[in-house]
Amino acid sequence: MKQFTRRAISLVLTLVMALTAISAYGEGSAVIGSTIQYDPSKPVNNGEDIAIEFWYWTGADKLFQAVVDEYTAIHPNVKITLVENPFDDYWTKLPLALQEPNGPAIFNVHNSHHENLIGYLAPYVIPVEDLEADFVGVSAHIIDGKVYYTDYGMMTATMYYNKAMWEKAGLTEADIPTTWDEFREVAKKLTIRDENGNLVQAGFSFNGGAQGDVLGMQYQYGQNLFTADNKVTFNNDAVRSVIQRMKDIYEVDGSGDYNFGNNSGDNFGQGMIAMYLGWGFMHGLFQALWPETEFGSFEIPTPTKDVPYAYHRYNGESTFGINKNAPADQQAVAQDIVRFFLANDALQKQFVLANSVFPAKKTLAADTDIMNVSSIAVLAKHIDRYIWPGPMPSAVENNMKIAIEDIFYNGADIGTALKNAEDTCNMELEGSEFESVEPSYAHASEAK
Amino acid sequence: MNLQIRSKSRDPLRSRSEIILRNTVVASLILFFLAFYFIPIGIAFWGSFHLWNPLKGQFRYTGLKNWHNVLNNQLFWYSLKNTGLFSVIAVLARIVIGLLLASALFSRLVKAKSFFRTLYYLPTITPMVAVAFVWKNMYDPQFGLLNQLLGTKINWLFDGRYAMLAILLLTIWKDFGYAVVILLGGMYSLPMDCFEAAEIDGADACQRFFGITLPLLRPTVLFIVITSFISYFQTYIPVMVLTQGGPGTKTQLATYLIFDQAFSKYNFGYASAMSFILFLLIALLTALSFRASGRKEQ
Repeated sequence: MKQFTRRAISLVLTLVMALTAISAYGEGSAVIGSTIQYDPSKPVNNGEDIAIEFWYWTGADKLFQAVVDEYTAIHPNVKITLVENPFDDYWTKLPLALQEPNGPAIFNVHNSHHENLIGYLAPYVIPVEDLEADFVGVSAHIIDGKVYYTDYGMMTATMYYNKAMWEKAGLTEADIPTTWDEFREVAKKLTIRDENGNLVQAGFSFNGGAQGDVLGMQYQYGQNLFTADNKVTFNNDAVRSVIQRMKDIYEVDGSGDYNFGNNSGDNFGQGMIAMYLGWGFMHGLFQALWPETEFGSFEIPTPTKDVPYAYHRYNGESTFGINKNAPADQQAVAQDIVRFFLANDALQKQFVLANSVFPAKKTLAADTDIMNVSSIAVLAKHIDRYIWPGPMPSAVENNMKIAIEDIFYNGADIGTALKNAEDTCNMELEGSEFESVEPSYAHASEAK
Repeated sequence: MNLQIRSKSRDPLRSRSEIILRNTVVASLILFFLAFYFIPIGIAFWGSFHLWNPLKGQFRYTGLKNWHNVLNNQLFWYSLKNTGLFSVIAVLARIVIGLLLASALFSRLVKAKSFFRTLYYLPTITPMVAVAFVWKNMYDPQFGLLNQLLGTKINWLFDGRYAMLAILLLTIWKDFGYAVVILLGGMYSLPMDCFEAAEIDGADACQRFFGITLPLLRPTVLFIVITSFISYFQTYIPVMVLTQGGPGTKTQLATYLIFDQAFSKYNFGYASAMSFILFLLIALLTALSFRASGRKEQ
């Protein structure tokens, strides 16, 4: 009898909890969102059962499961199958699947694959002005008056520093550098060598991935990455200055070495280097892989104390894409999921925090939890001074990588290496439909 | 009547079931080669005259533009030179190490032959990607095993003087076992009476090796040389995992360049033109090898 009573009580409690959870969004519950709104009481697919596929790449299962769980709690008639693919495979499998009518109705997008995806995307039914009212950076995503995906967050480069090394070197918060000259002095103080002059701790390292850093720092001199006719420009005074400074940090200051570790991100986590310029996602990676390394962040230094044309480039973390070749009823559900995602601050926050990106949604710009992430918080003051060049084809980064390695490891002349890379890149971009969106940057008129 | 029965039983194709089996097997092979070799090769050849990106359904005729660009691409010729050099060294090392170890195993002095054969062959059957990742750690300038063992401070994968050597070392280690097993098999099939006669005539081990073993093994060695060249001309996995063609372009091999153009830049037409040039080179080399071996046989 006792057992029966206990079972009955737990059953009732479970039912109450389930009903509470459902009623949070269920019929009759409040509409969510500011300009873009989502009304949970509106049935989807007339309340009839429907099944769709939702594709995403490995590493974000919890995030996508959260979207699916919350959405299907409101609309139990919708069955969403999450399909996970490794990142590299995703970009060959997805475009091919989108050519067929039974491909995924909705999928995760990365703007670096824009050119291969855009032909398969259906535009959002949400009016562009509503998107612009709620999110920053939408204007760069408007194609013929329509938006096919936009950013939920902006990722860029920030400087990470090892707090223990910082303190050991006698540095305080007041020593946080804002210019490159100040930075170089700090880097020297953070460098440790043994009695034979061998590097024990590098003040700064950019080994293994400097192309991502270089392709952004030229904006600090007012130099765009693309010309008006969409040709890439590497061999210019700004890029040459950036690379020369990097060389000087190693070769003149001795604050690092080309052979002191081959992956500065990993080496920072491993406690080999004191400062590292890395993109937002590294924040989460450091916490996950090297929790014992305590670190802080500061904004990337600039050539002078003045506010530059742009501090660096950013890349948007994209909202979902909708398959224009999917059946109409599936597309309608996909459009509804997108609206649900964009209107839902809690989900937006989860995605922003998981990727350590600056939120594109205006209502989250001052969110306390988000601003507690140091690599995001340091961007807040100048977030309008970060530029997106557009969905750059991989040829740009690949050729800059070759130039940088030729300069740093093979002793090539800076100008020659940059010219070769520029010529090859522009040859490879022939036939590409890429168009730079640098002209749509808010401060574009200040470019040299 | 008797004669008829005898001639029928001699001809294996007279049996209906055997004819069906023969036709099925041959048709399957033809279909297989058509589906997985000839048609894709034909499509790739046709694609080399197009601006071709299958991921966005792009297939626009551009004439000889891809071929013109490839032939004028210094990096392509540089990568071909790298590929040739890499292949020659890897094949030589494979043959020399293979012959030395196979001879050692063939000797009556060595015990536990099966154990060593298995040991040497293990790297060959281990997946290249997994092996390459392990070697990447071994090449680490700070924590790598290789520097610790040699007492050096070489940045193996980022120093232009050593990066190609690093890829070669990995390739040779991974592949020598294949040559050992094939050459050992070849040695066991050699006529023993030649060796016995040579021994009676007083030939020492060295004379027997260079005078009997090596000449008789020529077809086996040639087989390894040709299959190795074909395989090494297509090397890209160790490059992809270890150096991505760097530092700069120091370790660019032709197949990695093709892979990069096709699957990173989605420029399939350009990659197809490169592939065809590489295909012709491999075909030419193979034909030359066969011709050279044919002359020697005569």
